[in-house]
Amino acid sequence: MLRNKFLAAAVVAAASLLTRYAYADFEMHYPVIDYREFELEHNGSTSLDSRSAMNNNQSYTVELGYGVTPWWEPEIEFDLGAAPGQNWRYSATTFENIFQLTPQGEYWADLGFFAEYSHAASRVDADQMTFGPLVQKEWSNPFDSGLDTLHTLNLLVSKQVGRNRNDATPVQLSWQSRLRLNPLFEPGIEYYGAFNNIADRFTVTDPTHRAGPVIVGAYNMYQYGKIKYEAGYLFGLSNATERGTIRWHFEYEKAF
Amino acid sequence: MSKQRLLAFTLLATLAVPLAARAADANFTLTIKDRKFDVAEIDVPANVKFTLTVKNLDKVPSEFESGDLNREKVVVGGGTITVYLGPLTPGAYAFFDDFNPAARGHIVAK
Repeated sequence: MLRNKFLAAAVVAAASLLTRYAYADFEMHYPVIDYREFELEHNGSTSLDSRSAMNNNQSYTVELGYGVTPWWEPEIEFDLGAAPGQNWRYSATTFENIFQLTPQGEYWADLGFFAEYSHAASRVDADQMTFGPLVQKEWSNPFDSGLDTLHTLNLLVSKQVGRNRNDATPVQLSWQSRLRLNPLFEPGIEYYGAFNNIADRFTVTDPTHRAGPVIVGAYNMYQYGKIKYEAGYLFGLSNATERGTIRWHFEYEKAF
Repeated sequence: MSKQRLLAFTLLATLAVPLAARAADANFTLTIKDRKFDVAEIDVPANVKFTLTVKNLDKVPSEFESGDLNREKVVVGGGTITVYLGPLTPGAYAFFDDFNPAARGHIVAK
């Protein structure tokens, strides 16, 4: 009986942790820094499911960033969300950093490193750190197709810290491949997988897998800046996920 | 998996990917002066990697940008950058100075 309670508590804790990570991070991070560019970003996602407990799970972020050096871009991020059937609430303030480790195009793949610290807004939530490599590969003319393609992989590990922390070590794996047809319109596919605790196999619940189409583009207004967008639909591929999730990303950037 | 092994795995993943061969079979130079590129066309060999050295002789910054080439890189006043490109399929690839869009050119892969 006691063992079952512990197991249930672990599952609930892991699931709540997973939910938070999953909805904060339907965002692809790229390992190339836009030096001297100011960025204002918005990310959002909402779930679609016939089950009320999984429907309309919303997450929104607003981010401000600047390419301080050719290899470092810090961002401050404001996270909001609404669990199914609940009101919106401010969930966290996040200090995000992307480090470009290799010059774009010099090696077989471009490499960056992602590191962020997220300070929970609620006293009952824990702060968390997330970090890991970002890899991007340009692949021109694959199989003599005449097409240019771009592939991005994020492998991010998280740890809660401070008050209310747990010992889980969730991992999020994100992958995106897209065709560089036109800067305004680049269609592709992407995958988001979340594994709630790779450090302890006894508390592992079902991992979540989501995949689906995405379009990415940018509109250059030259001296007035640039608008970038991403829009995708993710199909839930496992029992622990909702049927579908709409995700979007809008960004305005301007160099100074 | 212990935390130490997890950390080691993450670091290894970070370091391992770019260890494969780096390129740069040839180098070309582009100069910015009086907010203009010194050449409007750069002919490069197709299907090889190469580097483009961009020198900014002005005091104000410029940004070498190309949607065709997926590159966007600031070159500060008086500075020099290296842009790693290719291999390119034969064709023309437009580039411009994002801080002064009137300055434009093409890289032509032959």
